[in-house]
Amino acid sequence: MKGYRRYFRKKIFWFLITLAASILLNFILPRLMPGDPVAAITARVAMGMNDASAVRRIYEEYARQFGTDKPMLQQFVMYLQNLLKGDFGLSFSQYPRPVADIISSAVGWTIGLQLPAIIVGWMLGNLLGALAAYIRKGFDRVVMPVSLFVSNIPAFGMAVILLVIFALRLKVAPISGAYAYDMIPNLSWAFVRSVFRHYQLPFWSIVLTAIGGQAIGMRSMSIYELNADYVKYSRFLGVPDRKIVGYVFRNAMLPQVTGLVLSIGTMIGGALVAEIIFSYPGLGSALLTGITRLDYPLISASTLIVTLMVLVVTFVLDVIYAFIDPRVKAAQFD
Amino acid sequence: MGKTILEVRDLCTKYITRSHEDVYAVDHVSLSLEEGKSLGIAGESGCGKSTLALSLMGYYFPPLHYSSGEIIIDGRSITGMDPDTVRKTILGTEIAYIPQAAMNALNPTQRVIRFVEDVVRAHRPGTGKKEIYDMACARFAELGLPPEVLEKHSVELSGGMKQRTVIAISTILSPKVLIADEPSSALDVTSQKMVIKMLRSLMEKGYIKGMIFITHELPLLYNVTDDIMVMYAGQIVERNSARGMVFSPLHPYSKGLMGSIIVPEEGVREQKLTSIPGTPPNLKHPPRGCRFAERCAYVVPSCRHNEIPMLELEGGHTYRCGHSAQHLREMYQDEQK
Repeated sequence: MKGYRRYFRKKIFWFLITLAASILLNFILPRLMPGDPVAAITARVAMGMNDASAVRRIYEEYARQFGTDKPMLQQFVMYLQNLLKGDFGLSFSQYPRPVADIISSAVGWTIGLQLPAIIVGWMLGNLLGALAAYIRKGFDRVVMPVSLFVSNIPAFGMAVILLVIFALRLKVAPISGAYAYDMIPNLSWAFVRSVFRHYQLPFWSIVLTAIGGQAIGMRSMSIYELNADYVKYSRFLGVPDRKIVGYVFRNAMLPQVTGLVLSIGTMIGGALVAEIIFSYPGLGSALLTGITRLDYPLISASTLIVTLMVLVVTFVLDVIYAFIDPRVKAAQFD
Repeated sequence: MGKTILEVRDLCTKYITRSHEDVYAVDHVSLSLEEGKSLGIAGESGCGKSTLALSLMGYYFPPLHYSSGEIIIDGRSITGMDPDTVRKTILGTEIAYIPQAAMNALNPTQRVIRFVEDVVRAHRPGTGKKEIYDMACARFAELGLPPEVLEKHSVELSGGMKQRTVIAISTILSPKVLIADEPSSALDVTSQKMVIKMLRSLMEKGYIKGMIFITHELPLLYNVTDDIMVMYAGQIVERNSARGMVFSPLHPYSKGLMGSIIVPEEGVREQKLTSIPGTPPNLKHPPRGCRFAERCAYVVPSCRHNEIPMLELEGGHTYRCGHSAQHLREMYQDEQK
């Protein structure tokens, strides 16, 4: 048990270090972008004003409020203080809306769309890969090339393909949004149905791109495991095939678990564009608005949320791995 | 003479290559094993030892295929049985196997006891966990393995321990015949000794009734087995008692093989270590006549034309050579002078 505790202490230590580094980067990077966001807001507010000193005062007022007139280090300390209170500050681009408000309304859509899509894609991909490895022959000859082909279409490419086929040609699915534009989110049956209809295209565009890569990985892992010595040995002791298939796929799945976690990590990065194509009101779209309008607090907050998700998932993976793979346990706990 | 526990008649098995050529790695092999005896099979690598081990199990999967011949275990022929029946009723209970690479023979993500459960239940469905655990504990203890091993994963075991665990699992259902394919080749001498002791005690305690021990380490065979069989290019070339084989090999190949090793006994210091020139023939197109002719120092033209049958001498000593036993011995004696 002492080994367990040391292992987790080490993992938590690195988790915290990474978190600190990512908070720093998330703060600095947006602020390195060229352009002055406060000037942009001032220009918007002061449209039509001629009095230069009034404009200047408006600018200074905003700069004071956002804290951009202070040195970077002081800004960072303030940012940290607010962060601890769960306050991400006010959005520049949607002033005076708090960033926390924007994020909390977006993050639900993103997780609701991407997490099921990635998990479904992962499961279907693994199933296909495992079957391809086990059946071989004709099935494998179809699954492999198709998987290779599909896995090389980026999520946004798939999004456009689906959009053209199902929304524009067949007109069986809506073109954009997460629900009909004339509806207000509520729990009515009509709204849920609308959400479901809007869900399909973005969902399947992510699922389809996920399937290919997972299937290829699972196939080669399964083939490798099927030829392992323990498979032959088990056969020669009369252990039935269904048991052996169980051993093989369990072992082949282990690296695939890493694949799942990595794809959850790239959730925002990779599938962000799919969100934008479908104008899905998720984190991807929020981040895009933030970037185009130099909205530092919004960018920092979005990227921080993403980083946090990746870190938590990786940490959970490390913990899970220690339990499901005795080899990792043996290597880590000693 | 005891009861014959394993009899093999004219067994031929082949590999079918990707280019659909047949390679007969086991070619008309006949052998018999009496109850309580052990038989060693020796030969250089690629001679078909391991394939013979696999073929004896009566269960074939690609690229190995059954061609002809018969395998009889304790009076019951298992040839022509449906593969699933063989797997359910023969493997593990009648005949068991210890693989060459025991290092990787255990599923890395499974505890030993879970695998033992699967093995036992494959033959006795519905056996309770507790019952299997008690049975495994008792057997492991008796074979000198700590019962804690059962709760371990294979990565937590040392090489020698892994090998002994594999042996204990293979014989957990007390199979009649045990086929050990190089069970100690990858081990250091201490572990090797423990493995050999374990195999011996399996025989002595009657958990197994006969053993076929395959190795390229001849000194080991001499110490472990009652009889030794020498294989060359898929065929048996000589069979004799271990003592007879080591001290007066008859077939030129056996002689070459015995001459290439050191037996740790009196008088070997004066012996010269020899080697056999050349390499074994390609079994895709085995040569006509004697397969050893190319490398044999005593070859005569007729060796390359006539199929050489197995000849029987006194005391179960058999060999496959165109020369008579007497002629061979005379030639060997002339050489010594």
